[in-house]
Amino acid sequence: MYTLTNVTRLYQKGRHTVPAVRDVSLEIPDGDWLAIQGRTGHGKTTLLQLLGGLDHPTAGKVELDGKNLGRMREAQLTKLRAVSIGFVFQTFNLVQTLTAADNVEAALIPLGIGWAERRHRTAEALDSVGLSDRARHLPSELSGGQQQRVAIARALVKEPKVLLADEPTGNLDEDTREDIISLLEKLWRQLGLTMVLVTHETVIARRARRIAVMNKGRIAVRQDPSSQA
Amino acid sequence: MRQPGCNRHATGRSVDQTQSAAPGGPDESNSHMTTTTGAPVTRAVGGGRSFFLKYMVRELGRRARQATVIGLGLALGIGLVITVSAAAAGVKNAQASVLHALYGVGTDITVTHPPKRGSGLLGPGAKGGGTFQIQGGPGQNPKVCVNNKCSTGAQTLDNLITTANNGPLSYSDVDKIAKLAHVKAAAGGLVLTDNKVTVSSASLTPPTQVSVQGVDLAHENLGPLSSAALKSGRTFGTTDASSHVALVDSDYATANRLQVGSHITIAKKAFTVIGTVTQAEASNPPNVYIPLAVAQALGTQGPGGQSLKGYVNTIYVTTASTADISTVQKEIKALLPSATVTTPSSLASEINGSLGSAAKLAGDLGTWLSILVLVAAFAVAGLLTMSAVARRAREFGTLKAIGWRSRRIVGQVMGESLAIGLIGGAFGIGLGVAGAAIIDAIAPNLTATIITDAGLRFAQGGPGGAGPVAFGPGGTLGSTTQNIPVHWSATVTLGVIGLAVLLAVVGGLLAGALGSWRISQLNPADALARVD
Repeated sequence: MYTLTNVTRLYQKGRHTVPAVRDVSLEIPDGDWLAIQGRTGHGKTTLLQLLGGLDHPTAGKVELDGKNLGRMREAQLTKLRAVSIGFVFQTFNLVQTLTAADNVEAALIPLGIGWAERRHRTAEALDSVGLSDRARHLPSELSGGQQQRVAIARALVKEPKVLLADEPTGNLDEDTREDIISLLEKLWRQLGLTMVLVTHETVIARRARRIAVMNKGRIAVRQDPSSQA
Repeated sequence: MRQPGCNRHATGRSVDQTQSAAPGGPDESNSHMTTTTGAPVTRAVGGGRSFFLKYMVRELGRRARQATVIGLGLALGIGLVITVSAAAAGVKNAQASVLHALYGVGTDITVTHPPKRGSGLLGPGAKGGGTFQIQGGPGQNPKVCVNNKCSTGAQTLDNLITTANNGPLSYSDVDKIAKLAHVKAAAGGLVLTDNKVTVSSASLTPPTQVSVQGVDLAHENLGPLSSAALKSGRTFGTTDASSHVALVDSDYATANRLQVGSHITIAKKAFTVIGTVTQAEASNPPNVYIPLAVAQALGTQGPGGQSLKGYVNTIYVTTASTADISTVQKEIKALLPSATVTTPSSLASEINGSLGSAAKLAGDLGTWLSILVLVAAFAVAGLLTMSAVARRAREFGTLKAIGWRSRRIVGQVMGESLAIGLIGGAFGIGLGVAGAAIIDAIAPNLTATIITDAGLRFAQGGPGGAGPVAFGPGGTLGSTTQNIPVHWSATVTLGVIGLAVLLAVVGGLLAGALGSWRISQLNPADALARVD
């Protein structure tokens, strides 16, 4: 369970201090699916990075299962990300020189799992996103939707507790967008993930259990997605 | 990924489990982790090794052009270092061969002594030396004065004298040097010149000079005779120590129609030729070898100068190993502070001619050129690696986001750089060997020009040849140049190959270190925000 208490993240831009996240307090229970909406530059991605331990708050606390991420050493945060947190990015962020299977396998490397087990779990993960037949393809040989499926398989192959997705459908066409969001929804249900999904698209956000809207770094949570316009 | 129906959170897994993992990180320990399903997963040490290699090879393949540029730069630098080192080694070998040609095969060090003022070698009339004058002219009875004792009339002068640049050393110095810790053997020798001139009222025949080597019969394996091969007759025996017997260089014997049993005159004494010897092509051997004791008895420090009994003018030293040469050189300098101690490397500074030029070329220009190219290659490799890391910022940010430790990413980049370095090194070795082969093929034969003592130099003063003719040490005794042909061959040794591999590793690691420094500066959040 995530607990955010008065989280603020300020950036220094030249002589000006820019608040990306302002005084955010939020709870995300285990198994929740929270969609964070908001316009570009209003702090959605920064909040996601704070949740993933990729960034540190200027003030306040980000706790996962009672552990303050801001007080953890870099090595501990790296380990946390290796084991418990999966990331999906808008631009897929696959390593272009590695095949689909290798990209998925890369997420298991930090866990020190042996080769045979890695290959087995990689095959399972690719199968679960419907890409068994594309395992040996390079990212450049895959469509955008397929690349994002590989990225989802990479995020979930290590069986994380949390999935953080930053605009996962932002670079996809409408049909593919629906495929990907359906896949994420299916996996969320099947795996019991805690999922935080950043999107600026209302139609995507409405699939979540809860929606939070960020505006100029501040957050407002609506419990019922159906109340969105 | 476990399949549907497998709700891992039912196991109550929390972040605590993550934080209680082994301190070394899950990828570095041999412990067990608990999956979200509760099933233990054995961690394999180095489980990512195959992945590391696969990732490295693919990445190098993707950056083939850049890798080629870095590799070629390193190859060029390393190749140049090998070529220059091989050429320098060849020069060193050539210098050693010059030393051996001059002083014998087994000789590592020679010890000579500059003549002291007043030794009779610095000028006529000086203390210890003699005065020697011939007066007369065409139609006049010549008058020859040696140490102010004059005689008039036609006569033949025959003096066996030490050479101008070599002062006497006591034979006891040979024993002192032989007792030094790292010295295997030491022998004394006398490098002498026998000068003959016949003067009469009708003419003054040009003087003849015969180079004579006094050989230490107790150590025939040291000194110029050590590299000689017996062509006819016999060599010296222990009973010859005080006999008037001589070994003659075969070329000199041919030119003067000498053979075993012939007689030659040295210092007005008849010597029986007991054998003829040949020396290596490159050497410039003495004409005649005689026993040291006889040479000491007959030789003087210049015409009419002091006797050389109990003296030598060159000491030949063999060290226990070549590594001891510089140590022994220092020890001898401590023992005989005013002596000149010559080693193959110190000889280099005394060698002129094309060998000296080659040594300067390899030593100065070659070394600096190699350093310059290597520094440039290292700089290019480092900058290109840093640039590549900057371009891969998002990739590395992603890897950090999925749990790769910075150390693992650094290791990946270091591995790639090292691989490029080693490939460059391999090509560099090829280039270097080819360069050495080219030097071997096109290198001209070199000549070592060394100032040597040639004994008397004839000088006739006065207009029209009239007036006094003086033979004397110092001003009239002089030195001549000795040209020794040397074959220069570039030598690629295992040490040089080892140096090349070391440079390749250093180049690779240096480039990787710069890239790694760049990675360490990467903040994952910033890296992910980068636009490719």
